[in-house]
Amino acid sequence: MKLSPSEKLLCYIVMVAFTIILIAPIAWLLSSSFKDQLGIFQSPPVLVTANPTLDNFKEVLGDKQFIAAFWNSMIIGVSTVIITMLFATPAAYGLSRMRSKAKVGLLSWVLLVRAAPGMVYIVPYFIAFNQIGLMDTKSGLVLINSVFTIPLAIWIMIAFFDAVPKEVEEAAHVDGATRIQTLLRVALPMAAPGVASTAILVFIFSWNEFLFALTMTRIDARTAAIAILDYMAFEGTAWGKVAAAGILILLPVLIFSIFIRKYLVQSAAGAVKE
Amino acid sequence: MKNIIRHRDSAYLAMVAPSAILLVIITIIPILATFYISLHFFNPTSTRQFGWVGWENYGYLLEDSRYLNSLRVMLWLIVIPVALQITLGMALAIALKEKLAGTSWMRVLFLLPAVIPPAVSGLVWKLFIVPGAGGVTYMGSLLGIDLQLDLLSSPNSALFVIIVCSTWVGTPFVALLFLSSLETISKDLYEAAHLDGAGWLQSHWSISIPIMRPVIMTVMVFRILEALAIFPIIFILTGGGPAGSTEPVNYYAYVSGFQYLKIDYAATIIVSFFVILMVFCAPFLIRIARAAR
Repeated sequence: MKLSPSEKLLCYIVMVAFTIILIAPIAWLLSSSFKDQLGIFQSPPVLVTANPTLDNFKEVLGDKQFIAAFWNSMIIGVSTVIITMLFATPAAYGLSRMRSKAKVGLLSWVLLVRAAPGMVYIVPYFIAFNQIGLMDTKSGLVLINSVFTIPLAIWIMIAFFDAVPKEVEEAAHVDGATRIQTLLRVALPMAAPGVASTAILVFIFSWNEFLFALTMTRIDARTAAIAILDYMAFEGTAWGKVAAAGILILLPVLIFSIFIRKYLVQSAAGAVKE
Repeated sequence: MKNIIRHRDSAYLAMVAPSAILLVIITIIPILATFYISLHFFNPTSTRQFGWVGWENYGYLLEDSRYLNSLRVMLWLIVIPVALQITLGMALAIALKEKLAGTSWMRVLFLLPAVIPPAVSGLVWKLFIVPGAGGVTYMGSLLGIDLQLDLLSSPNSALFVIIVCSTWVGTPFVALLFLSSLETISKDLYEAAHLDGAGWLQSHWSISIPIMRPVIMTVMVFRILEALAIFPIIFILTGGGPAGSTEPVNYYAYVSGFQYLKIDYAATIIVSFFVILMVFCAPFLIRIARAAR
């Protein structure tokens, strides 16, 4: 359908107005990360400071506690991905190929577990972690993250496995391959891009997790998203450092999401199709 | 034939089993444990022993004005942001669909708020509204206005900030989801509407929206769930204040359990939260799961 000039103008106004709202706060974060304390409280404030400085980044990168937390986030993220994919890949494939009535029940349940907010599970985990010594450990956080990422990954990957033509698998099966072999040698390679993007999505989820990282860690297993709170102390917030740390935490997920941008919407859309 | 199918399903069931068993252990048991704790006295700071109290905690809940207030805040934080996300998301999707010159990069940009750590989103907005040093003051100065309001210091404006932030996080992704669904609608339908004399907006109103109704419903359910889970944004921006004005139910549960150490009461709040969640969302989720296959 062809748009009239006034209709086009309306489209542009909607998009530009929203894009400004979208970018403005992030641009402000970026701009503040290059300001010193004086530049931040300069009146009136400016978007581009006259004396840009890298000191905030230097200080954050030189902060041993922040770097340790950053590595914790990495290790927890990667471990969560491995555990999640080991459990979720066969489950998603099995659910995709299953024909019995149990399927709808299992799917509904997967979705319900995925849907429940973290707060629902927090009390027993807090008590249990204290009892069995998982408090403030990376493995504890990996376990909790998996509660949410396994159902998420199953749900997303079902759609990718559904897209693998069954005829190819039948052929493999006629040749004597077992179901597991069919999954590993036929279905998995064909669904590989989807599976890989799911793994990245799981990493992003783990990287962004806040509630449990806040309540189940003290010092040793703190993640980057929690360590940033150090810069918001009682004496007043060091906004320059907060902004620099914010940018550093944002970068990995930003890079990853650009890689999988095609699949990000597709996988989410897979979950909403009806 | 039936036997073959059954046999094949059992192989698939075996693949699902490890996840299913793990999920029972790490989800169902904690939920039952939470319910069990809510029926007991449990406060590590008290000298009183852990012990059975029956429905006592639930009785307190109904008389607790802070809890009743948190229900109201939760409702505000669901209804307004989700409504805004759906309407703005639809408007943006319709605008983006036209693929006007110079707009393709927006599709990439729109992913940003959805993948930013929620804690960082909270920080981004906190910094943006710092009185005197934030982007709001800056934008005001561009227009020649001296904007130095401390938006987080009064109840209504603090709630407003939370609503803005949560809408900001959700809207672009909703727009992309709607866009991907909008692009699957056949061109012929719009052509036919055009021949009948329908304008551009009119044809979206009478074609796109009715066709997309199931998608809109599904997206809405997921956004409601997301809104229910809101935590990091509130933790960073307001801490539930001032005067409980931005404290929804799950935040109150956190405060009760981890600041006041009333673990039993936190468990009670969480059980009530879980029941609300299930009553309102489970029917939709089951329908979605059924329709997905």
